[in-house]
Order: sequence, then C-alpha cells, then structure tokens
Amino acid sequence: MGRLRTLFARLSALFGKRHMDADLEAELRAHLDMLTEKNVGRGMNVDEARRTAMRAFGGVEQTKENFRRQRGLPFLETLLQDVRYGLRMLAKNPGFAVVAVLTLAVGIGATSAVFSVVDRILFRSLPYPQDERLVSFGVTAPFESREFILSPDYVEWRNRPTPFEAMTSVYPGTVDCDLTEHNPVRMICGQADANFLSTFRIQPILGRSFTRDEERPNAPRVVLLSYGFWRARFAGDPQIVGKSISLDGRSTLIIGVLPADFEMPTLARADLLLPLALNESTVRDPTTPQLVLRAFARFKPGVTIEQAVAAMQPLFLESLNYVPPQFRREVSFRMRSLRDRQVQDARASSWILFGAVLAVLLVACTNVANLLLARAAGRQRELAVRAALGATRGRLARQNLTESLLLAVVGGSAGCWLANLLLRLFVSIAPQGIPRLEQASVDLRVLVFTLGVSLLSGILFALAPALHTPAPELLMGRESRATGRTLLRQTLVTAQIAVSLILLAGAGLLLRSLWNLQSVPLGMETESVLTAEIALAEYRYPRSAQQLAFFRDLEARLQRVPGATSLAMSDSLPPSGGMQASFLSSIEIPGRPKLAEGTGGMIGYRFVTPGYFPALGVAIARGRGFREDDRMPGENPVILSEALAKQLFSNEDPLGKQLRFGSDNGPWRTIVGVAANVKNNGLAAPADPEFYLPWKDDREGYFRIVHLIVQTPINRLAIAQWIRSEAAAIDPTVPVTIEAMRQRVGKLAARPKFNAVLLSIFAGLGVLLAAIGIYGVVGFLVAQRTQEIGIRMALGASPPAVLRMILSHVARWVFAGALLGLAGAWLSSRVLESLLFEVRAHDPWLLGLAVAILLATAFFAAWLPARRAMRVDPIVALRYE
Amino acid sequence: MPPSKAEVLQGTLDLIVLKTLDTLGPLHGYGIAQRIQQVSEDLLHLNQGTLYPALLRLGQRGWITSKWGVSENNRKAKFYSLTKSGRKQLAVEAGSWERMAAVIARMLTGAEGA
Repeated sequence: MGRLRTLFARLSALFGKRHMDADLEAELRAHLDMLTEKNVGRGMNVDEARRTAMRAFGGVEQTKENFRRQRGLPFLETLLQDVRYGLRMLAKNPGFAVVAVLTLAVGIGATSAVFSVVDRILFRSLPYPQDERLVSFGVTAPFESREFILSPDYVEWRNRPTPFEAMTSVYPGTVDCDLTEHNPVRMICGQADANFLSTFRIQPILGRSFTRDEERPNAPRVVLLSYGFWRARFAGDPQIVGKSISLDGRSTLIIGVLPADFEMPTLARADLLLPLALNESTVRDPTTPQLVLRAFARFKPGVTIEQAVAAMQPLFLESLNYVPPQFRREVSFRMRSLRDRQVQDARASSWILFGAVLAVLLVACTNVANLLLARAAGRQRELAVRAALGATRGRLARQNLTESLLLAVVGGSAGCWLANLLLRLFVSIAPQGIPRLEQASVDLRVLVFTLGVSLLSGILFALAPALHTPAPELLMGRESRATGRTLLRQTLVTAQIAVSLILLAGAGLLLRSLWNLQSVPLGMETESVLTAEIALAEYRYPRSAQQLAFFRDLEARLQRVPGATSLAMSDSLPPSGGMQASFLSSIEIPGRPKLAEGTGGMIGYRFVTPGYFPALGVAIARGRGFREDDRMPGENPVILSEALAKQLFSNEDPLGKQLRFGSDNGPWRTIVGVAANVKNNGLAAPADPEFYLPWKDDREGYFRIVHLIVQTPINRLAIAQWIRSEAAAIDPTVPVTIEAMRQRVGKLAARPKFNAVLLSIFAGLGVLLAAIGIYGVVGFLVAQRTQEIGIRMALGASPPAVLRMILSHVARWVFAGALLGLAGAWLSSRVLESLLFEVRAHDPWLLGLAVAILLATAFFAAWLPARRAMRVDPIVALRYE
Repeated sequence: MPPSKAEVLQGTLDLIVLKTLDTLGPLHGYGIAQRIQQVSEDLLHLNQGTLYPALLRLGQRGWITSKWGVSENNRKAKFYSLTKSGRKQLAVEAGSWERMAAVIARMLTGAEGA
C-alpha cells in the first residue's frame, strides 16, 4: 500500500518539476535564514552567522540532489533522457533511421503475420477445456487414410472399459440440410452423439445438450444452433430455446445455442447440430448398412497415448473378427492427439514457413546490427568524450541499448501495421484447407509476440556495438583501425549470406516441385473444358428415380447447347479423387480363381455418358468408347483404363473378355474398350486403376451429385449462363457450381503454390537484406581504407587492380558464408522432403543455382561501393592525413 | 574531551521526525531540526539538510502532509503535520524500536554478566 503510494507520488513528481524545484529552493532558503537569524541572535556577525548556518545545514546542492533523487524516479528519468537523446540522434541521421526502421518493420511484420497464421495451427490451445487430453482414434484402411470407426464397433467400445474418461463420435464430413420456412436457406448440419458436448466439455450458452432419448427412431427432432446462425437468423433471440424450426420439411425443436467459439473437432462447418441417430446401424448384420464415424475421446488424467493404444489393442483385435478376412492385414488401429488430427499435413508447412520467416528476421536484425556498428564507428569520438567525462561502461551500454530498443519499438510498431496488411494478403492468396486461417488475426496474443520479438531483436542487434568501449586514445582525433569491429561486421555478413542461401535453396526446391506438379501429365484435356457440379437436395429428391429423372431431363435440354463440341455427364471428375471405388479382389473374371488374400488395392470407377471421352479428350487406346445404345437396359459394356487392363490381363487382349464386380453377383460385363490412364487421385499421388460404366437410366442407388462436362471453344460465360438457366427451368432451387477445368486443376496445386510463393518471398527478402548488408560493409571498408588505397595508387596500382583487391577481400567472407549456407541447406532441406514432388531434397542443380544467384547478388552489391575505390584520387587521399 | 557526537542511526530519522511532529504539532523543517538538537542536548549530530529528503519520503508514504504557512517570526515556511496513517505508523515504529532496544539492552547486560 505504502509502496504503491510512494510509486504514485514519484510518478506524479515527473511532471511540474520546475515548480517543485522553486518550492524546495524557497523552503531551504527559509531554513537557512532562520538558522542565520538565530546565530545572529547569539551575537555572531551576519557573515559568520551565515557560514555557521551553512555548516550546520550540510551541503545545500547535495541536499537538493538527494531530494530530487528521492522525489522522482531516477531510473525513469535517465531512461527518458536517453530516449530523448536517442530520438535526437535518429532525427539527426534520418537516412539511417529510415533504413533501420524499414528493415525491422519488414522483418517483424512478416514474422508477426506468419505467426498469426501458424499460431492457430501449432501453438494456440483448441477451444475445448483441457484440450491436451483429447484424442482422435479409430482404424485406417486402404480406402480411408484418416482414422474412422464403424457404428457397431463404436457402440461396443463405448460400453467397455477403456482408458478414456469419455468417448464420443460425430458423423464425418457435412450434410446439407434445408431450412424450409419463409426465406428457405441451404445449411450445413453436423451430427454428434449425445455425449459429444460433455466429452469436449462444451457448455451451450442457452439451453441444453442432447439426451439419449432423442436418438431414438421416432423421438421428436431436436437441434442445437450455432452461435453465428442464432445471431444471423434469429438476431440473438434469448427466448429461442423451445421454439421450432422447419428443417428439411420437418418440425424441429430448438433445445440450445452453442458458444461462439464452438467448432466441430473435424473442423467441418456446422450451422446446426443434430443428434447422431445410430439406431439399427449398430447391429452387426451384413444386410444393414453400417455408418462410418469419427471417434474422439477424452483421456483419464495421466494417461499417455502409448498406454491408451496398448489398452485399446484387445478391443481392436476383437473387432477385427468382423472385418472380411481379405481386409484384415490392411486395417490398423490409430490414435493421435486432436491437434494432430486437425492440422494433418499443415504442420510441416507451418513449421517451415515459420522457420523461414524467423530466418528473415534474423537477417534483418543482422543488418540493423551492421548499421549500428557503422554508426558507432562514426560516433567513437563522442563516446570517448563521454567516457572521459566519467560515463561508466555500463552507462554507455545502457545508452546504446536504449537507442537500439527505441529503434526496435518504432520498427515493431511499423511492423505491426505491416503485419496486418501482410496477413490480409496471405488470407487472400491462401488456398482452401489451411486449418483456422479465417480466424487468424493480429490480436493481443500476436501483439505480445510482436513486442517480444521487437525487444529481443533490439537486444540482439544492440549486443554487437555494446561489446566495445571506446579507447581514450580516440580523443586524439585519429581514425582508429578498429579491425575488431570490421571483423565483427564481416562475420555478420557471412551469417547473412549463409541464412539467405538456406532460404534460397528451400524456395528453389519448392518452386521446382511446384513446376513438376503443374506439368504432370494428366491424361486429359483441361483447356476449353467447362465443368458444372449439380447437387440435388436429398429432401426434394429422396428416391433415385426422381434424381435420375431430373438428370434425364437436364441432359435432354442440354443436347441443344449452342457451340459445345461435346457434352457429357459423370458422377465424378478427374484429376481430383472422390470417385466410386472398389477392390481389385472384388473383380471376378470367368475361369479364374478370386484373389487368394488381401484386397489387391483400390480400383476406381465412374458412370459416364458416351460424350465423356471426347469431352475430356481421354484417348481410347483400344476398342471403342461408349455409344448411345450402350445405355439400353440389356447392355452391359465396360471400358478399362490401361493400368487396369494391364493388371488384369497383362499382355492378353482384353477386348471381348468378361468380368463382373461387387459381392452382389451383378451382371457379367463385356470389355469393349481400353482408355488411356488419367490422373485420378490428385496431382501428386499415383493414379488408381479405374474402369468406366455407361450412365444408364435404370440404375439403382444414390445419384445426387452430377458433373457436367462441356468442351467448348467459344465464350464460356455464355455457356455457363445457359447451363444455369436450363437447370433452373427444371428446378430453380438446385444449386449449380460452374468452374473451368483449368481452375479445378489449379486448385489441386494451390497449397504447394502458396508454400512456394511465400518461401520465395522470404528468400527474396533475405537475399535483398543480405545484399544491403554487403553494400554497407563494403562501403564502410572502402571509406576506411581510402588512405591505403591512395598510397597504393600513388605507387602505381591501377584502378582495376584496386577493385580486384577489394572484391577478393569480399570474396573471402562471401565464400565462407556460401559454404556455411550450403551445409545448412543440405541439413535443412530434409525438413522439406514431405512437401516435395519428384524433386530430390539434395538436387545439386538447384543448390548450384541458388549459390550462383546469391554470389551474383553479393558481388553486385559489393561492386557498387567498390567502384568508389577506383575513383580515389591519390592526392586527395594523402592530403587527408 | 567532549563525548563524540553520535550519528543518526539509519532508519531512525523517520521515527524521530514522526515523534517530533506528534509532540509539537505542525512544524517547519527548521523547527524540527531545532527540536532534535534540543532534545538530544546536542549529542546527536545531524546534517540538517538530510531532513528534507526524509520529509519528502514520509510525505510520499502519506504519513505527513505539508502546506505553506507563516512562522512565529513572520517568515514564510512550509509546515509539516502528521496524518492519521502517520500516527498509526508512529505507534508501529515506536513499538518495534522499543522491542529492539530492549533486546539490545538485554544482550549487553547479559554479556556483562557472563
């Protein structure tokens, strides 16, 4: 209390000093006067009385000094004094200040912007209490690399003893659902087990969670609203709980509202949350379809992942008994932390970008350190004077540190502003699928990080000049040799070059990998191909007959597309994945035994109209493509991809052979053609073998999403417009997403492109900063050696020889830096390996190119100021002495 | 030879000032200095200037307040007076001083007895 009060009193004493000084002066004078008066009263003469009074009082100035020290905050006052002085120094040399602040702003700004993105991915805790105890678990299989669990297993495991405090599950992915009231809207619904909220310890802000009763088949429908939906649709109505909405045409009771920071553990969007009704899908019976679920659990305190995996092993082995024998070897159990599950492959690239931007920051700090060293060289006289007047080494270092921190804070503030801009830029060029990117913002946490980085860098680059105390001899006015300092500066430049080379090599690898990815042969046409995705709402088209009728109608209307060379419909589109899939083992060929064990790998298939092959430009290698009469009810033709034909028949001629697939003893199909291989698993992953079936009207099963493919040389916009209007003529509520094929393919490379672009920007910045550093040091070197150069020239050295001398000097530390950088790049490129496509991490050509670029830049940066050495006039240089 | 004057013990000046103000009421710095000399019968050596930082410190703690007034011989002077919390502090410090003095006295007599 007293201490706080003292601090406050001292703080307020920082203002109105003049008044307080006058006050003290008057008080002390009164004291002395009274003392003198008393002495006079004792019979002394005035002079003596005054002297005695002064003696009794002790030093007046000393008292004032002590008084002032007690009055204010000397530490703060010195600081303010240093800051004022530092600001004056910066103002006196605005060029230096601008360059230093800009350099820092770029370094700190870029670092903060990247931090604000990767923080959400790598560091910040998930929006669930005690998120470190949450895991995702399940089995993986050849057709699904992310862990999942089948509904019967889930219910069985949930009732058994596990290392978990609680276990829950959600429906994977998203489900469209429609709000069918006035202003109908398409929304995305999540589905979760009744214990979902309690397992994740999420409290609804209004209302309650689901109950087990609400999962029953004929229970009244209930729903939880997301915060955003509640605000947008119901204006945050606090009385919303207990009201009903019409969802997919059924009245649904609102039982609660989720908190604002709620998110599904799968990171899927969810406007509404519905109970996950497992019902009959939990029965182990080959005829009832089982649901694929994503399971999550909360550990009991103190349980580790290894222990939990071991504890779950018996349950997993038990469930394996229900897996068809040929799958068993390809199914395995997996458990990982929720964060790992969410960020997946974003982790590696996040660390790489963060590392890269920290490297840029390091180069920026080094540059500023170099600038400060150069300035310190110019200020040696001043510092020597201060030292001679009694400033201690500590006091000088403090002054130095204050000035550096001043720079850091100014640079950091500018960096903050820049970070905001850069973040907006990142978000606008970022591809889909970077987890939580839309949440990234320069918030308090990022600001604290920025401040920390600024101060740390301030201390970092202040260290270099602070290591030197000026020698008193400097007072004599002679230029010092200051070799130690030059050595330090060269070391800094060497480090910059090394770091820049590592960045450059990394960027080169990513760019090369991107190039490979974008020029990968797709086996199909992407130019002048337009695609349209049409998704039918399940509640409007619940039966496949209705779905087929819609598309039959659409196809008939589209026959008249003006200017389309060919048009096709398919249930999936290459080169992205997502086609229907089966196993090689499920393909049966007459006269051959089935595969003895294992699945033989995945085989994809699509339903296509005859226009598919010409519209996508997929070549028919043998036989023929589909014809219209292949779609008649009795016809069962099939076309294989070359890869599948080779796998099934090796060198035999497949044409005319028969096969059937699936466990349901489907019809025998005759192979009528072999089509060229097409990338069908994304750009990087190897393609799966596939086969094509004709799009027929009598097909069973779901058919809600269809892709239209139009090959057209003319105006795409007009065609797009036309497709939309034809679809709307049948049903105006059906959404149509139109995209050029080239765009679709481009999206597949968007992530690598984003990484490559960012890393290239950072590498460019690093090289630029290093070049500025070299420029500065060489300029300083030339200025320092002017006399020596003058003498050499007077003795007959030619200007080119002088240039060579300077450059060969530069070459030593540039090559040292390049060597260090090569070693660093060699080691660090291994980190990049997971992001590379068809490039070796140690590609010698790329490394060589990076070295060449760096050396060229370095020598250019050195050559600019070194030219000045050539122009040194010996007479002038010698007279300078 | 006259007995050498004792220096004011570190930390005791605060107590002395508080006690003086408690006894005499509002007083200026000169008055406080005179009082200390008088009570100590000139045995205590005090650089009168050191009073002022001490007065400032006590003011910052909120134990005393000051305001300008006119002295008995019509001179403008700053008068210091004890606050409520200053009075409390005086009680605390006096108590702890007495305990301390008692302990030291016992130590000294004990040492003599041994």
